[in-house]
Amino acid sequence: MDRLFRIISQSLKAVKAFKLRTLFCLLSVSLGIASISVIVAATEGAYKKALEIVDRFGPDAILVFGGGEEARATGERMKTITLDDIEAAQQAFFSAYVVVPMTAMRDVTVSYRDKKYQTLIVGSTSDYSRVWTWPVVQGSDFTDEDVKGLRNVGLIGQFLARELFGEVDPVGKNVLVRRIPVQIVGVLSERGTTPAGDRLDDRMIIPITTLMRKLQNETTYVSALRIRFYDQKNLNAYVEEVRSFLRERHKIPQGEPDDFTIISPKEIIKFLVALTGSLVIFLGVTGVISLVIAGFVLANLFLLSVRERTREIGIRRAAGAKKKDILLQFLGESVVITTLGGIIGLALALLSSKLLMYIAQFPIYFSWKAFAVGILLSWIVGIGFGMQPANRAANLKPIEAIRG
Amino acid sequence: MPLCEMENIRKTFYLGTVAVEILKNVNLNVERGEFVAIMGTSGSGKTTLMNIIGCLDTPTSGRYVLAEKEVSRLSDDELSVIRNEHIGFVFQNFYLLPYATVLENVLLPTLYIEKHKDNLEHRAIDLLQLVGLSERIKFKPGQLSGGEQQRVAIARALVNDPDLLLADEPTGQLDSKTAEEIMNLLREMNTQGKTVLVITHDQNIAAYAQRTVQIKDGILIE
Repeated sequence: MDRLFRIISQSLKAVKAFKLRTLFCLLSVSLGIASISVIVAATEGAYKKALEIVDRFGPDAILVFGGGEEARATGERMKTITLDDIEAAQQAFFSAYVVVPMTAMRDVTVSYRDKKYQTLIVGSTSDYSRVWTWPVVQGSDFTDEDVKGLRNVGLIGQFLARELFGEVDPVGKNVLVRRIPVQIVGVLSERGTTPAGDRLDDRMIIPITTLMRKLQNETTYVSALRIRFYDQKNLNAYVEEVRSFLRERHKIPQGEPDDFTIISPKEIIKFLVALTGSLVIFLGVTGVISLVIAGFVLANLFLLSVRERTREIGIRRAAGAKKKDILLQFLGESVVITTLGGIIGLALALLSSKLLMYIAQFPIYFSWKAFAVGILLSWIVGIGFGMQPANRAANLKPIEAIRG
Repeated sequence: MPLCEMENIRKTFYLGTVAVEILKNVNLNVERGEFVAIMGTSGSGKTTLMNIIGCLDTPTSGRYVLAEKEVSRLSDDELSVIRNEHIGFVFQNFYLLPYATVLENVLLPTLYIEKHKDNLEHRAIDLLQLVGLSERIKFKPGQLSGGEQQRVAIARALVNDPDLLLADEPTGQLDSKTAEEIMNLLREMNTQGKTVLVITHDQNIAAYAQRTVQIKDGILIE
């Protein structure tokens, strides 16, 4: 142990003495380690973000849109879900505790006195606030009677409320949705912004019946359906049940694609991970390449160093160093350098992830994992690529080494 | 019992398929406390002989007993231990580590000792005082003159208190005045009891020794 300590102290002296070699190795190793630890942190960040979003979406809920996968991909949303589907679903699924239809209209002009704002109008039932776990914080929710009676009442999101009313309490005020007067009965709590940058609080909720008849002249179709289940562990099974239920109702023959799309928490995680996935893969490939290049730079510089220091090796051997001592010294030099490179790389990773989060609003999360991976990789590079030069140094014959 | 006892030492090198016998049946005894010079021209085999005496190399055949230990068939690791404990080397070109200080250079052989010893640094400083360099312990070799560097090398050779001080052309890179100082220093070490073996081609250097042995074409002549 004492001897190992003495040998490693020699490694440290050499790392300090051969500054140019140390500098170049540090540069290449730290860049490699930095990119890899950013990737680890980004992957972790993406998962964390995805879980956060799922939590907000509701881990026990699914969302069904009209139109199949293909229609969604082209940006068109076909309306295939009917009010009858909703009613049937409410009857059929005992495992669900709330089933809510929704129809959304974008860029609808809402005005209050001389103020106008284009917003999202969502038509739903009195369960809207419950199904999204989105409480009404001022005034009150609208009721089943409001829905049945096609009444012109609405809930307002906080962003829209500020745009139209400023500091004035919107509860009880009348606004115009297109040409229809609607009385604001309640204000939803603040929800903030999605990772994609959508303002969730820029919206108004009115009874779905009111929206369909008075704004859309529609009697049958709604755009979406949201269901919450009691037991979130069985959600995957429920997704399949809902799928076959709707296929049967829509009389879709076997082999034909669905005419609706089910979004479950699993789906959301998949989507978000795929979104960050391409960047992660790109960074991953560059990271691994740069680390391998760093390894070769290190191995080359060390081979040069061994050649340059042949006489030193001879002197040490003459003074009583065993092969093992020489091997450990050179391996020590390379591990000391790569460890330093790893630490610098982690610092670089922290800096660059700050930048990435700022520029791309990319979720990056540094935990002990990124640090552990960084340091471990630096050791692997240090030992893996330092081994060959160290072996060459150790196997020099004393009488040949001492002549240089 | 002599310190070094060599019997029928042969060393053959192979250049491709051609065998070249560098040492032919060398017999040499060095007693403890002796000051011996081995003289020979280049190509005489004196470097090969020095390598074998210094346990840097092993003979092709023959018997070599150093400090009561047969060393001619030892492994690489065992030879390292013998060099570390019994032999101190002084080379023509000093061979100091350029990036280490004078003190660190002197301490080099202590890095590889098997058993823990106290006060090694103290001993190194004492030795530097003995060779007249106690003011320069923090210097790098590049800041010293040739004679001073060789003094550092001598202190280094002595730091593990070896049985044999082996000097290979110790004055080859020095002017005659400095060479004289270095040889006087070696003689002083000898009078203090150290066995000294000098390899040289120079008659004047050999003159410092009590006994001179000539080597010619791989054969020793007293």
